[in-house]
This record gives sequence, structure tokens and C-alpha cells, in this order.
Amino acid sequence: MFNPFEDFKEFLSKAKTLPLDRLSADHDQIMAELTSGYGKLVEQELKSLVWFVEHNRVIEAYKTATEVIQDLSYDAHSIEDFCYVLDSGVDIPYLISGPAGIYVAALCNHVAEDKIVLRLGEMKRTLHFLGYRLPYGKSLRIEGDTGNFTGSALQGGDITVTGATGDWTGAGMTEGKISIQKNCGRNTGEWMQGGEIWVGSRIRGLGRITSGQIYQAGEAVVDSLMA
Amino acid sequence: MAQTNKHRKDPEQVEDLEKLLKRLWPEIRRRHLYPEIPLPRFDDSPSPVAMEIRNKQIILNLDYIRTMTRSLPAETVLEALLDHGVSHYTCCPWDLSTHLRLYARAKEILGDRDLARKATDLFMDVVADTHAVKERQSSLPDLYRSGAQTPVEEVILALYERIWGLDLGSKGDQETVNRLVSIPYLDKRRWMMSLARFIRGIRPLLEDDNGSLPDEQTRMGKHGFQQYAPEEIEQALREFAREAGSPEQFVEVFEDLQSELEMPIQNSSEAMGHGAGNPVDANRIYYMKLAENYALPLLKMPMKGSGYLHPHSHRPWEVCQPFKDLDPWSSFGKFLPGITQIWERREGQIYDKKEKTPDCLVIIDSSGSMVDPRSHLSYAVLGGGCAADGYLRHDARVAVYNFSDAPAGGKEYLPFTHSRSLIYQVLCRYFGGGTALDLEEVTSVAQESEVDIFLITDMQITNLDQTVSRFARLKNRVTAVHVGKKSGALRFIKASVKNQNISVFGVNETNDIPRIVLGSVRSYLTCD
Repeated sequence: MFNPFEDFKEFLSKAKTLPLDRLSADHDQIMAELTSGYGKLVEQELKSLVWFVEHNRVIEAYKTATEVIQDLSYDAHSIEDFCYVLDSGVDIPYLISGPAGIYVAALCNHVAEDKIVLRLGEMKRTLHFLGYRLPYGKSLRIEGDTGNFTGSALQGGDITVTGATGDWTGAGMTEGKISIQKNCGRNTGEWMQGGEIWVGSRIRGLGRITSGQIYQAGEAVVDSLMA
Repeated sequence: MAQTNKHRKDPEQVEDLEKLLKRLWPEIRRRHLYPEIPLPRFDDSPSPVAMEIRNKQIILNLDYIRTMTRSLPAETVLEALLDHGVSHYTCCPWDLSTHLRLYARAKEILGDRDLARKATDLFMDVVADTHAVKERQSSLPDLYRSGAQTPVEEVILALYERIWGLDLGSKGDQETVNRLVSIPYLDKRRWMMSLARFIRGIRPLLEDDNGSLPDEQTRMGKHGFQQYAPEEIEQALREFAREAGSPEQFVEVFEDLQSELEMPIQNSSEAMGHGAGNPVDANRIYYMKLAENYALPLLKMPMKGSGYLHPHSHRPWEVCQPFKDLDPWSSFGKFLPGITQIWERREGQIYDKKEKTPDCLVIIDSSGSMVDPRSHLSYAVLGGGCAADGYLRHDARVAVYNFSDAPAGGKEYLPFTHSRSLIYQVLCRYFGGGTALDLEEVTSVAQESEVDIFLITDMQITNLDQTVSRFARLKNRVTAVHVGKKSGALRFIKASVKNQNISVFGVNETNDIPRIVLGSVRSYLTCD
């Protein structure tokens, strides 16, 4: 009997395997691992049901995040893609901005590349704690807005935010530089012990600054002598 | 048949290419599993791009082919171009609906029409090319190996090199390419997410290159919306209206592409002439297309009597009787009383129940308490549109009375018409302000003939009591749909509970309105 599909038989075996297949599969695997790591952090942090921003709590969360990611293999672009995974809510059981931001900060601090660019302009929500503890030698450029505690406890890194930041920017930073092209919120530079914060536009309020410099539109509003 | 421009420069070469095209085309079709697209043709107009697609026909640029055949066999060039063109048809975008969705997503991210067009075109090119290389063993890599001309092309070439695993001699920015290589281009389910990632990767390049013409962005040319058939445009707009996040998103996309999307319809009357164009109200199109996703079956009313007097029998004519009923054929050509016959007319007898569809007067509230249909999805407009469509489908006429504070002039009345376009135009009108019905006007329209009344409002009407009592005195069937649980709604329900001709449907959420129109109203108005 004549098989009307005979002509198409050869097509079944002709599809090539391209490097794209492996590259996209690897990327999916990395996203799955990063998501799983975030899940472990949230599991740890949710034990007390409510997540408060307390000094010890933040340190503890960062420590957990560092432990969770230590065996993961990822690059700077994966971090950006993971931020969008967090934003989409798909496969993410709970998005808590605090731990999520600490987790992303830990990823940035431990990634192999020294120069990290996160294009977050299309995210529907902002993450807190981005740039937390960014060490010396690393630069983080964030395209878009960020939440509270941006660049807090900065340890010599260089952070640029093309949008605006929330409250407590640069809180507790010891050294390094934060450049914000638009506005920043209240308590900017709270407990700041060194380093510089450059704000392109309005600063809603300054915190209690121990040492360091803050500039608004190129003019110094706080310098170390004032402290 | 392959056609060429009459002003070709090298007839022999063109003839050879035509022969080659005719020989290659069956093989290309076989390789792509016989897509239903016509034989491509050549075009000799000067253009920097390789091809364009119009009405599903691939148009190959002779200039480009001549240039490429200096370094590559003509067969390779043609095969590669045809693979690219056919892959757009068989893989990405596949149809206008997908194309619109991709463009809308790009526009949402980039906020600029030209950038969104470029980004969408580039993404579709990468998907189509990768599909052709992976699934159809295309010779596209040979074509691309000839080099890139713009920074964007350089990056795309470098991307191909990485994802196809071939040496194409690229010099593109690897930092950008690294962002693009792991995108799952061939996974159709993830195209929206993939497009967003793709745009994040190439956005700086696109913005730097924004001064160039869209055609120059890529050698394969831009993918205009003229390639789709009118039926496909109708279908795609219907789907896009359903999927768009808000009327504003639909309007934004529609206005961007309006000139191209209308092209097939305009082409049907290509005669010359003068006169202003006919701008299309995108809001109206949005609600028209959205309403087409729903169908409201309608119950025809039993007829009470035809009222039609038909010639029944003859009787002798008398002088006092009118001439119009004279029957000259049975009067021997004479006009004489007693001899001349006149038709005796009687009213027609109707056996069983003969049904007809009454006309409908849609009364829609567009006061300040109602949603503005231009910025948010107005279920009042949608509900009114669905009801109007239901009557139009049964060849009945629809009148629209759109009001806010009608006695103060906040009203627009469209007399009974079959024109769907006019009906939606009036439905989409938004007045804002207070809410009061001009009852004299409404009831005079309703009493003119046997019409149904469809009222859709939040019942925050200042003369609500008079409205209810006036409607109660009417013999017309009245369907009232109220939005929300405002106090007026309860008063309306209580006041109209005893009236058999009024049916009230309440909704707690505006989203329920289309469901009520299609469900509950059906039980009253409908159903076969």
C-alpha cells in the first residue's frame, strides 16, 4: 500500500544538533540551581514567619546565601536572568524582597567576573540590598531602579545605579563608591564609615553619618570633616 | 509565474535566475514540507535588502542577488534566501497573531516604534534562520559568511557563529553575544520571555543605531505587516484584543501598524481620487474585535399579526374608491363603475408561530462613575457591543443612546442602523460627568416600533425612580444590566420586580458583565 508520508521519512533523522541546544539547556540548568538555592535560603529565613531587617538577621541571611551558592556555577548574565525569574514569580514559591536581594548580592560578590551589569529596567518590582557587601575590585552597574539598602555594608566595590534608589542607601558602608544617577531616599548614608555616595538628583534625607562623603549634583552635602 | 520588473538591466541573467528559481522552488517547498505559498518573484528596484514578503509572496531583490553571486553560486544564494523567507512562514512568526504579540512585547519594553520593529525583526530573523539551519539543512551559513555591514549585523553574525557552531568570520562584540547565546530561540512557548532577554542584550546597540533606516538594520530586510491576508488580519486583531493587557496597549500597537495593517483592505479600491482619508478609531476597533470573541444567541419574538394587506379577491369599483387598487387586467380596459374591478385586500393569516427579531435600543451609561473605555477595559461597552452584535447577526437594526447627564446635553443618539462601525463609534463615546436619562426621548424612540431595550449602567442615575416607572409602562422587553452593588441597583431591582417586561441582571465584578450577557441574558432573550 502506498504510504503518503513516505516523502517525509528522511526528515525525521535530519535535524541537526546545534550548540544552541546545549547552551540553552545549560542555562536552564543554572536557573534551576539558582532557584533551588534561593528556595533553601527562604526555607531557612521563613522559620520565624516574618522577616525583619535587623543587623544580625541580615548577616545571618547573607551567610546562609553564601553557603548555598558556593558550589554553583554561574556567570554575571545568569544573575540578571535570575532577577527576572524572581520578578516573574514562576517557580519561585515566595519572593521576599529582603532575602531575594541578599541572595542576588551574594551571587554578585562571588561571581567570577569583576564587572557585573544588571539590566533591571523592565522588572516590575525592585530588589533591596543590591550591592550589599560588594568587595573591593568589583564593579556593579544596575540599569534601572533599586529598593532599600542599596550598597549597604559596601566593602570597597563600585556601584552605579542608572535609576533611583530607596531608603538607607549606603547604610553602614565602609569604603567604595556608590553613584546614583537619579534620586535616593531617606536615611542615606546611615552609619556610613567611609567611601562616597554620589547622587545625581534629589536626596530625600540623610542618615547619621560617621564618616565618608555624600555629593548631590556634584556638590558635597556631607564630607568626612562634618562627621 | 515568475515575474520581473520591466526595466531590468540584464535580461539574460534574469532569465537564467528565473529558470533557476523554477527549478529550485519545488525542492525548497519539499524541504519545508510543502508550505502553501506562491512562487517567489524578482524585483529590480534598488534596495539594500535581500527580500520582502507581500501577500505571502517572497520578492527577491535582483540587485542583492547580483552582488552576492559574485562570490557565491547563484543556486546557493537563492536557496538560502528562500529558506529564510519560507522559515518566516513556517516557523517564526508563523502568523500575524504571533507577530503582533512579539511586536507588542517589544514595544512594551522599548517604548519606541522603530526600535520595537527592529528588535522584533531581528529576533524573528534569528529564530527563522536557526530553524532553517537546524531542521532544513539550509545553505544560509554560506550566505552569512560573506560578512556583515553594520554593528548589529556583526553581533548577529557572531551569535550565529556561537549557536550554530560554525566559523562565519565574525568580529561582533562578544560581551553582547554572551547575553544572547543561551536564549532558547526554537522554543515557541518561551518566545515572549526570549524576546525580552534578546532585547535586553541588544538594546544598547539598537539605540546607538537608531538613526539608520529600518531597512538597513539587517540585510534580509524588515518584515512588514503587508505580508498578511485581510482574513488573517481580522483574526489576529480579534485574538490580540483578547490578549492585550488594556485598551491602551491595543490602541498603541494598532496605531503603530495601522497604515500597514489596513493596506490589504485599501488595496481593494486602488482608484485615484481626492478627499481626506478615513482615520480609524483604534478604541472602536478594540471593542469590535473583542466583542467578536463572544456570541449572543437571540430569541426571536412571536409575531402577533403581519398587518400586511394582500390582494385577496375582486369586487366592482365605485367612484369614491381610490384608483391605486384598480386591476386593469380584469376590467376589460374600461374605467366604469360596476364594470371595473378593484382588488379587495385582506390582512394576512398567520398559521403557527412566526418569529421575527426585533430591533434593539442599546442605552449605555458613560457618566463619570463608569470606566473610561479608552484607558481601561469597559465591560459596559463590551456588553453593549455583544448585545448589539447579537441583534445585528439576526439582521435586526440597533440604535444606541449613550448618555451621562442627558438633559444637560451629555448624550449621543444613533438612530436605528445596521452599521456595526457606527454603533461601536457611539458605544465607545465617553462623556463623564453626571447621570440622568432624558426619558421623553428614550421612550419616544422605544414606542416608535416594537423594539427591545438593553440598558447598561451602574444605576447611579439621578432620575432613577422616574426611569423605572417609565420603563414599567412600556410594552417593550427591557434588559437592564447594572455594574456593582451601588444603592441605585437595589432600588432598581425592588422597583422593577413586579414588572414582567423588565429583567435586571446584577454583577459584583465588572468582569462578570460579558458572562451575564452571554449567559443570563441568553435565558431571557434566547435561545434555540
